[in-house]
Amino acid sequence: MSETITLLAMFKDFEPASEGIEKLQEMGLTDDDMNVISGIPIKNTILGRPPAITYVSRIGFMGALMGVALGIFLIYGIPYLYPLLVGGQAIFPVPQGLIITFEMTMLGLMGFSFIGMFVDSGFPSYTPKEYTPEISDGKVALLFSCPTGEQEKFVDALKNSGAESVAPVEARQL
Amino acid sequence: MASYAKPLARRKPHAQEHEDPRELLMHDPLPRGQMNAMVMESMHETTPIFWVVAAILAVIVVYTLGYDWYVVIMQGQGVTGELRPDYWGVFLVNTVFWIGISHAGTFISAILRVLKIESRRPFTRAAELMTTFGLVQAGLSIFMHLGRVWLVYWMFPIPNERTIWPDFHSPLMWDLMAITTYLLCSTMYLFLPLIPDLAMSRDRTESGWLKPFYKILALGFRGTEGEWKNLTTAMNIFAFAIIPVMFSVHTIVSWDFAMATRPGWSSTVFGPYFVIGALHSGMAAVAIVLFLLRSTMKHYKYFLRPEAFNTIGMLMLLVSMAWAYFYFNDYIVPWYGGNKWDKILQEYTEKGPLGYLWFTMLFVNIVVPWATLWNKKWRETPWLLAIVGFLINIGMYLERYIIIPVGVTINRMPFTWRQYYPRIEIPLTIGTFSLFLLLYMLASRVIPLIPVWEVQEGQEAHMIRKMGKAEVSTLSDME
Repeated sequence: MSETITLLAMFKDFEPASEGIEKLQEMGLTDDDMNVISGIPIKNTILGRPPAITYVSRIGFMGALMGVALGIFLIYGIPYLYPLLVGGQAIFPVPQGLIITFEMTMLGLMGFSFIGMFVDSGFPSYTPKEYTPEISDGKVALLFSCPTGEQEKFVDALKNSGAESVAPVEARQL
Repeated sequence: MASYAKPLARRKPHAQEHEDPRELLMHDPLPRGQMNAMVMESMHETTPIFWVVAAILAVIVVYTLGYDWYVVIMQGQGVTGELRPDYWGVFLVNTVFWIGISHAGTFISAILRVLKIESRRPFTRAAELMTTFGLVQAGLSIFMHLGRVWLVYWMFPIPNERTIWPDFHSPLMWDLMAITTYLLCSTMYLFLPLIPDLAMSRDRTESGWLKPFYKILALGFRGTEGEWKNLTTAMNIFAFAIIPVMFSVHTIVSWDFAMATRPGWSSTVFGPYFVIGALHSGMAAVAIVLFLLRSTMKHYKYFLRPEAFNTIGMLMLLVSMAWAYFYFNDYIVPWYGGNKWDKILQEYTEKGPLGYLWFTMLFVNIVVPWATLWNKKWRETPWLLAIVGFLINIGMYLERYIIIPVGVTINRMPFTWRQYYPRIEIPLTIGTFSLFLLLYMLASRVIPLIPVWEVQEGQEAHMIRKMGKAEVSTLSDME
């Protein structure tokens, strides 16, 4: 297997960035070989990229189910351990059960969505990464790997597509 | 026969009809680097007056929440004005008031985000921050009311020395669950959209204690496709899910009262009435905060433009009308019903020694906003909107005061009737307001209060298009 090098191409806008991506695809790179880094979220169709996969909603849904279970445990488990009669109400009341179960479900949904965002994104991560602060100033960066021997070919192609710079990038401490 | 559209009158077009869309923030973009630098500069350039005000607030907070609360804890609730039948006094007024203030953040951020109201973009974070800090004050106030704060764990579902577990039949337990859920979720909701701006701040901070602060909180965010996808998905889930939680919180707060069979409290309309009341005070508080931020923070005039105040003003007017509707609902039924104790309470509220509070409440909650906020020019005047917001908050505080201590004065045992006079509650109330302001001021030094990336995203999505004789604003679907 030939050695690869990681390059970072900087674009001023989405237009040249999408052209650059198209060019890389034509040159044989797959979507997995490249990643777009930007200061604002960009719809995948704008750049001609496949939709990014996220597990956040699935993790959130699992959290909601756990919240339901916790709510049911609180409202029915606690009176089971310590039965208390209040105003002639049932020991295991349904209306109050709905309130507590609702709150716990929503807490589970949102709490696990939050955790899911961390897990799926690999946060927190303080290891060195390929990045440049210019990205949050509006530049669109295209991070990709290519065979070391063909580096010049890729650089020329991207510069022709409108890249402001294409250079090897090393991971740096953020 | 052909029909023709004719102008009603030949007049000069009104100035408002010729608004230049370029004056809107979404159509007046600056280079993103410059915008980032402006937000960083506004955080880091601080005048001596800022620190003088912060120091005064800190002294007040230490004296009131430190010393005065210590006195309450050590000597008991007897040092307050709470005495039979007024066991629910200003501490609970403050609790309900601050929970109301906290509703603004969620309402503005979540509902306007779900409805894709574009003018929300520059001020969502300022409102979200109010939610978190407002809930802190609500939590403190309920602890003050609790008295023996060290026994709070009796409400947790853990075995304790009394072998008594929480009673979920009680609305107070529902309250604990709902407020805790809301505090946790709204804090997470504040943090999520903050991550990209913390990363931006990390990139622009070279040294000092803020560098590790931003580095840790930015979590290593770079802005890759996957990171954005995960972040926006989580934000969407929160935006939809936190709305029913927001409604549930103040509904449950209202049930603390409505579940009791007291005159004036046992009302089926209390749930929505309290929710609208919360939004009324919350929206008004946002207007005040935005005015203060715009007046004191460098460069904020660029971000917080009249259009933002117009949006807030319209919401304030709408909520004021809804509040009047619910108040009338809550008023007319007992008035018509003829229940003896309800009648006595209504007469005491209107004609009793505190009747002026009732009239003031109606005036500032209804007359003031209706008389001013119908006019777009006035809505777009920040100082005027802030004054209206201030008056509405006075009105909403009075409303809670009338419901709670004035309400408990009249009960079915006339020999216990007694007017409530707050004592040590007054400095403690000042303490919560001071702490809120202090936390907000300190946060403004370390957290970008403008969600820069959201503003930039909006500016990217907006375009001006010529249609016929006019230039109109158009919005691309980038989300």
